Parts: sequence; C-alpha cells; structure tokens
Amino acid sequence: MSNVISASHLTLAYDKGQKEIIKDANFNIKKGDFVFITGPSGSGKSTLLKALYGQIKPSEGNLVVGGLDLAAARQSKLQDLRTHMGIIFQDYKLINEWTVAKNVVLPLMIAGYSMDVQHTQAQRLLKHVKLSEHADKYPMELSGGEQQRVGVARALSKNPVVILADEPTGNLDDYSSNVIWDLMENACQQLETTVLVVTHKIPSIFSLPYRHFIIESKGVYEVH
Amino acid sequence: MKFIKNHLMFILPLMAILLGIEFFLVFDRTTDSYEKGLKEGYSMLVVAKKTITLEELKQLNPHIDSSENIKRESIVAQIAKGVSKSSAEEILQALPYFYSVRLDSYVSTSDLEKIKKDLEKDENIKSVETFGSSYSSSYRLFSFIKFTLRIFIVFTGVISLFLIIKQMEIWKYAHKERMQIMEIFGAPLMLRSGVLFKVALLDALIATIMTGALFLYLKFQWAGQSGIDIMVQNQEALFRITDIAILLATAVAIVIFAVYTVVFSSAGAQE
Repeated sequence: MSNVISASHLTLAYDKGQKEIIKDANFNIKKGDFVFITGPSGSGKSTLLKALYGQIKPSEGNLVVGGLDLAAARQSKLQDLRTHMGIIFQDYKLINEWTVAKNVVLPLMIAGYSMDVQHTQAQRLLKHVKLSEHADKYPMELSGGEQQRVGVARALSKNPVVILADEPTGNLDDYSSNVIWDLMENACQQLETTVLVVTHKIPSIFSLPYRHFIIESKGVYEVH
Repeated sequence: MKFIKNHLMFILPLMAILLGIEFFLVFDRTTDSYEKGLKEGYSMLVVAKKTITLEELKQLNPHIDSSENIKRESIVAQIAKGVSKSSAEEILQALPYFYSVRLDSYVSTSDLEKIKKDLEKDENIKSVETFGSSYSSSYRLFSFIKFTLRIFIVFTGVISLFLIIKQMEIWKYAHKERMQIMEIFGAPLMLRSGVLFKVALLDALIATIMTGALFLYLKFQWAGQSGIDIMVQNQEALFRITDIAILLATAVAIVIFAVYTVVFSSAGAQE
C-alpha cells in the first residue's frame, strides 16, 4: 500500500533553525494506518503534528504528505492539502461566534458544498457524536467533552484522507473519550482513513491494530 | 450597543476622511469658479509705441489670453476738450497705443512680475501696468484660504487614519482566531476575510451615504438660505452625483486596504 506520509532525514526547528525539536527523523505511514505518537512533555509531538498540516516547515530533510513535499509547497497547495485533512486539537479550536452545526460543517463550507448538503451532514454528524440537540447552541454553552466531540465531528465531516489529533481526549471524561475513540476507530476501519494521534497514553480500550511512535531526544522511533 | 459602537468606530473616521475629500472637491470647484471671476475681472495695461497684435503679445508670454485696443480717440476726446481740431490731431499722433490685456489664468504674483518683464523686453512696448498691489493682496488672501483648508483636510485625514488603524487592531483581535482556524482547515483568503469584508463594506456604504446626504442637505437646504454670496452663486458646485462614485471608490479602497492588512497580519499558518 502507498505511503500517505513519508519523512526522510526530517529536522524541525524553531527560531530560524536555531532550536531543533526533531532531528533526522525517518518514517513512513501508509493509508489506513492508525498511529499513536507518544513521548514526554515538550518532546516535539505537537510540533510534528503542526509540520504534518504545514504550520511549520521542515528545516532540513523531506516531509511528504499526500504526495506534496511540504518543504517546498506553495500556500495554495498547502490550503488544498488541508481540505483533505481532519484536524483535532486539545483546545478544540471551535469558532465561538458560530453555532455548533456551523462549526461542524466548516470543511464542507470551505469545499463549497451547498447549504442543503451542509445541513444534512451537520445533522448526521451531530447524531454520530450524540449532540443532535445542541446543533443551534454556541460552543461556549457546551462542556469540554461536548466541545471536543464537535471538534471530532468537524474533523470527520468531509471524510478526510488523514486525521491528525493532538491530545484529543486530554481533558475529557471517560464517556466523551470513549465516543471519540470509537469514532476514530470507525473512520480508520470503514473508510481507511489514516489516523495520527498524539497522546500521553495509549487508551486501554483501544481494539484496532495500531503503530506506535515514540519521540525522545529529538528522534522519532517506532515501537515494535 | 457593542455592535453599534463597533460599527461607529469605523464609520466615523471613514466619514471624516470622506468629508475631507468632499470638502476638497467642493472647495476646488468653488475656488475654480471664484478664480475664474478674479481672472475675468483682472486686466493689465500695456502701452506700446506702435500697434501690436495679440499673436505678438502671446509670443512674448504664453499666459496672455486676449487683448483689447483702447481707442485713442476717446482718450483724446477726454483730455483735449476745448482744443482745436488740428491740435487734437497732433495729440492723437503723439499718443502711444493702449491695450487692456487679459490673462489665461489667475497667476501668482511672481508670474505676474515675469509677464511684465517679458512684455517690457519688447522695444515696441513702452510700459506695462499690472496694478500689482491690489492683485497681490487678493492673490495672497486667496492662497492663504486655500492653504489653510488643505492643511485642515490633511490633518483631519491623518487623525482619521490613526482611528482607522486603531479599529483595525480591534478587528484583528475580534477576527484573528476565526481566520486562523479557517486557515488551518484550508480556507482560501476570500473565505477567511469574507465576514470582515461584509462588515467593513457595509460600514463603507453607510459612511458614503451619510457623507452624501450631508452635502445634499448643504446644497439644497442650507446653501440657498445661508445668504452667503459664494455659496448661493456656487450652489451647483456643492455636491455632484459623480462625487458619490468618488466617495464610494475611496471608502472601498480604504476597506480593501484595512481588511487585507488585518487578514495578512492575522495569518498564523506559516511560521
């Protein structure tokens, strides 16, 4: 199966290359892989995720996502790539002045889907994340767990090729965590979506086969 | 209340700029017509040994617009009352030729001096009377009013620009997070800036309409009743329908500049 993500001699750094976070990393991730990325705090897990959606450019080496070399990609290509990604953040990153339903369909809005399609998808996704009755509420009216479920629904709304999740269950109760893991497992299993999850701890309830990368001392290592 | 305040904070400085521009346009038109009046009311006197044509005068200085020969017979008739016909003819023969010369524009006093010197270079011309002192005082007063109003307009414009920059900071604070989230999900620039654009364009439209309405009131209500000659005479110049296009284009240009500055300074996807 073809690689969806490929890193070769990848170095990520801040301050114009002065502060290296990840150095000389090499890894390949295939379509349908479910990958957990763990490591100590400040090891560079979130930085790697940011690099995967193009927020940080590689200082050295190559990082290819969906066939696009992120080191050399133009902004328009990067924008296009992001429309095929579902991104989940620990702090949810919902738009507070928009309703829950409107937040969920943001990727569809960006892709130019009609209002009818957006409405239908919003209803379907909110039912999936068990938030149907909250469609017209605003994010600030929901609990943290509910907000994160909105974030997951948004990430899944356009059937993305890749889901990138940064500590998606970090601050959540067990119920919300289980709903989120179920949704991501289903996406991986049924739609062959590649899922990368940055987390401190791999959940014990997780039932799918997965790959496990550890980031330590600036290196990215796969645990076999 | 907050909604109205947010809109007014952009509409008012934008209106101040538009008012400045409209004042400038109105003043330019009014002073053009006043200048025309001054120009038409002014002529210099050229005294020549022999007859001189308009073309010859124009060759000496391009500001010369027209010339009128002052009939010597009427001068003689004034100064030679009770003198014999032959004596009167002798006076007529001895008299030089007088021309009333008009200029093509209301020139500066230094230009007026230059015209005088250019004309006096011709040997045929005996003397030139520019009536410089009265011309100079009118010109200086006119220039001072023009200069003062321009300074006031520029000053208002600068203050308003600072207020708009302040509003841009508020916009940045209010819209940055949404635009960054949209950017992460791949939204193109137009979509990211869409909300801000709609808000700002609405404000630009309101500011243009309010400025236009104010000047229409001045034109149709105030100017006629003011009793101020220059206003009554130049009522037509107070506001023209084409001014709406100028004001709207200016407002939209400011909006485009302000919104894109906010959008680009809020972009956080490329570190």
